[in-house]
Amino acid sequence: MKILLAEDEVGLSKAYAQVLIMQGYEVEQVYDGKAALEAANSSTYDLMIFDVMMPKMSGFEVLKALREAGNTTYVIMLTAMSELDDKIEGLELGADEYLTKPIPLKELVARIRSLERRIDTNYNENVLTFGSVRLNVSQQELSAKNSIILAGKETKLMEVLMLNKNKKLSTEYIYNHVWSKDDDSDAGYVWIYISYLKQKLKAINANVDILGEEDREFELVEV
Amino acid sequence: MNIYGNYEKYLDMILDEFSKRVYKLNDEYKLKTGYKLFEHFISRIKTNDSMIEKCKRKGFKVNTYSALKEIKDAIGVRIVCGFVDDIYTLVSLFKDMENINVVEEKDYILNVKPNGYRSYHMILEVITPYPDCEGNESGRYYIEIQLRTIVMDSWASLEHQMKYKKNISNHERITKELKRCADELASCDLNMQTIRKLIEEG
Repeated sequence: MKILLAEDEVGLSKAYAQVLIMQGYEVEQVYDGKAALEAANSSTYDLMIFDVMMPKMSGFEVLKALREAGNTTYVIMLTAMSELDDKIEGLELGADEYLTKPIPLKELVARIRSLERRIDTNYNENVLTFGSVRLNVSQQELSAKNSIILAGKETKLMEVLMLNKNKKLSTEYIYNHVWSKDDDSDAGYVWIYISYLKQKLKAINANVDILGEEDREFELVEV
Repeated sequence: MNIYGNYEKYLDMILDEFSKRVYKLNDEYKLKTGYKLFEHFISRIKTNDSMIEKCKRKGFKVNTYSALKEIKDAIGVRIVCGFVDDIYTLVSLFKDMENINVVEEKDYILNVKPNGYRSYHMILEVITPYPDCEGNESGRYYIEIQLRTIVMDSWASLEHQMKYKKNISNHERITKELKRCADELASCDLNMQTIRKLIEEG
């Protein structure tokens, strides 16, 4: 995992870098906000650590610029300010973690480990099972005796159904959890997509089925 | 009255000869590469009634000239291929055929219609040993060709079914889903094409 560390206090930067390198991470150090922004724009990182108070550009300004440009890399903010408002500002701007100095090195490492688990794509490979059915969410693959690749929305719908197996879900609930608000769609699509999935469950020879009628409640059950 | 007049008998002969030439192309290609160029060859002569109806609909006089010269699909051929590349191979083979000119070409595979329709349309002008309605001894006749993959073909027949069933309650949603389905199928079509290439390259 490659980490960008932006911390203007050379001694602190060195201490953080040393412990992170010992943990097996690759660390790139910069010492002001502008250098942090340039590094983030020209290279790719799995994680970025920004001190808030830095010369040339503050950590907040760097974070804001990156998020506005669509950079979604995980960011940990470090600050001496323990003011609640600062924490809120950092999180509102799109920081993923907010640590108050002095930061025990053990905690820093633990936080990064925790983030790493979430960033790690293998860890993220989300597989759900129910009856004979297996849904690999990241691969969009539905399988039982046979397997089939689902479209994005079908996968999302199947995921919602599997997370709520043996529960009756309303058409409205399903619509709100599968379709995003800005989509040019309506709850009428729920039945169409339920129909797709019912057909596909049959095609993979699954022992589960989705019960329910158009515009009513749906339930994923073993049959 | 038959709208094709004295020229009706030639249409069958021209289609028959063209079919033989296309089948021959397929045989030669198979001998050379081991692959078929197409899976299905479907053809028809437009019926007298539909041609009369089309002349009226398009605002042409109902006569032989309109049927054979203004309207260019009296003879129609649909060639259904296994893979997208085969379509383009056929297109270039048609362009090289003797006594045949391409007079119109529409690539709805690269320029997909808004509803998701994909197909390659061509109108060929065939120079024949038969007279035509303009008094040419070596008469010129048109053949309309539609080239598509098996996948595009089955999509098109589903879309066709919907077109003639305007009263379905879900019309707007079904239209959108059909379009999405067309795009999804196009992706599989291309994946199969790519896999075939990878297999060939070994």
